[in-house]
Amino acid sequence: MSVEDISIVEATDAPALTARYMTWYRFSRNPAAIIGTIIVVSVVLIAIFAPLLATYPKHVGAVVDFRARHLPPDALHWFGTDKAGRDIFTRVLFGFRVSLLLVVGVLGISVPIGVTLGLLAGYFKGPVERFISGFTNVMLAIPPLVMALAVGNVLEPNLVNAMLAITVLWWTWHARLVYRVAKSVAVEDFIEAARLSGASHFHILTREILPNCISVISVKTTLDAAFVIMFGATLSFLGLGVQPPTPDLGSMIAESRQFLPEKWWEVLAPGMAIFYATLGFNLLGDGLRDMFDVET
Amino acid sequence: MNAGMIELFLRRIAGFVLVLFVLSLIIFVLARVVPGDPARIALGPRATQEQVDAMRISMGLDEPLIGQYFTYIGKVLHGDLGESLLSHKPVRDDLATFLPATLELVLATVILVFAVSIPLGVLTARYRNGWIDHLGRFFSLVGVTMPGFLFAVLLQLFVARFVPGWPILGRMDYNLAPPTGPTGLYLIDSIVHGRPDVFLAALKYLTLPTLALALASIGQITRITRSAMIENQRKDHVLTLRSFGVPTRVIVFRYLLKLSSIAPLTILGLEFASLIGNAFVVEMVFSWGGFASYGLSAIMQKDLNAVMAVVLVSGCFFVVANLVIDVILTLLDPRLRLREAR
Repeated sequence: MSVEDISIVEATDAPALTARYMTWYRFSRNPAAIIGTIIVVSVVLIAIFAPLLATYPKHVGAVVDFRARHLPPDALHWFGTDKAGRDIFTRVLFGFRVSLLLVVGVLGISVPIGVTLGLLAGYFKGPVERFISGFTNVMLAIPPLVMALAVGNVLEPNLVNAMLAITVLWWTWHARLVYRVAKSVAVEDFIEAARLSGASHFHILTREILPNCISVISVKTTLDAAFVIMFGATLSFLGLGVQPPTPDLGSMIAESRQFLPEKWWEVLAPGMAIFYATLGFNLLGDGLRDMFDVET
Repeated sequence: MNAGMIELFLRRIAGFVLVLFVLSLIIFVLARVVPGDPARIALGPRATQEQVDAMRISMGLDEPLIGQYFTYIGKVLHGDLGESLLSHKPVRDDLATFLPATLELVLATVILVFAVSIPLGVLTARYRNGWIDHLGRFFSLVGVTMPGFLFAVLLQLFVARFVPGWPILGRMDYNLAPPTGPTGLYLIDSIVHGRPDVFLAALKYLTLPTLALALASIGQITRITRSAMIENQRKDHVLTLRSFGVPTRVIVFRYLLKLSSIAPLTILGLEFASLIGNAFVVEMVFSWGGFASYGLSAIMQKDLNAVMAVVLVSGCFFVVANLVIDVILTLLDPRLRLREAR
């Protein structure tokens, strides 16, 4: 009896170990994924430690130093200074903070909503499915920026409302994606088996179907982080997001645009910072997608 | 066209009408629960309370919300989009002025996207892992990663520096009168009026905004075309063609390309919503003065009727584009026709 037990343990454990190892192996041998990871980690660290890394921490606020305005990049001001004489390097570091805060806020609300609705629509047939997928399709037909502008303007323009404006539409993509996966999983035999053994709907949804959606959700969420950064920057570029003097990468570009092409560094530095962050999340997301071998 | 296909299209159109209906309801409710009295905004801060009350009644704002909505929809169905609260002109006239500019920009963008990304997708799939593939993938990545407004601003910066004299703002030279033509699209009107100089100027002004708007879609569509080509290369019927000795060129252009344009076309339909959204930013950066700029200022000034019209027209853009794509898809893919006939 005991011999049989051991052999069963070996038989079930070994493949799981190699599968996990193979997944990690695929990720670690993908240079783009590794570069993405490094970039994302560096962005997060910069955002956390911005006050320590910044060369002029006071320049985050409404500081004005007219003797130092529009200075090109040099040893003192690595990315130059802006129209009020503030150090752009410092403001870019703090800009990452605002961008990441937006990402956490938007995805923290919209991913759970979208996943829940997607699960419900994919598992329950009939009116629930029709209502949720119908509503999702309608929301997908609204140009996100138009909706965000409408919502953002109805409310006062600031960071929290920009978050709200983006969140209103963001859940739809997750709902659609999870719906697709959940629908295909819901007809599998093990779901039927769980139901026959008396499992509740809640148990089936959270313990049987949800784990099958995790890889898709994590890939989509990583790629979404890049979109939210882009979207938030676009909103504040249009004047509806974060308000000055808070350093935001999008509004920094909007404010400096009038000084082009002479004061190019004032646009280029925040622009490249946005590009750096979105590139990182995109590479990481693509790497995760190859690793899990899923479609989003 | 058989009966099955006609039924399919009628069903799609019914679905899209429902989409527009719900969309209008959402925006309508959203616009009315907003703090800020539309009558007060229309009259300005100096109007007396009696004037505002009279205005509220003449605007129908004293009715219940659901009644207001159906009155509004009834008017919209008769082509009356109401009056702009700020300019006091019918919104329909404003749209007629501003819509052609955006239409020209979006159409030019769609043409450019297909002209670039389908060949690029075919090439990158054909020479997979060659230098052109790496280059193509790099550009797709940049296209997907770079925000539209950032690319637009950078494009302006580089053109201003390195191509002096190339127009970076507006739609037309100041010393050239824009053509007053039947369509409002400068490119077409200038041909109608036989003015090659105006045509060239319009084309020049159109270049940068179109490039800026197209970048993201080019990246996306190239990626999808490439993976569709690679996936379909492995299909049995392609292998059969190959074993019969059909030249690669014929296989790629007569069989593979048709099959592989289904996925990119579908995605382009979905992309249309973000294309319209990006048009707002691109029009602002290049002072294009189209429908998107109009919508932006309407939103900023809380001009409710104009905002409603802008959202509805954006929705219509999306719906019509997707219908056209559906038609093309059924023509391309016999399986879709067969499924409906069954």
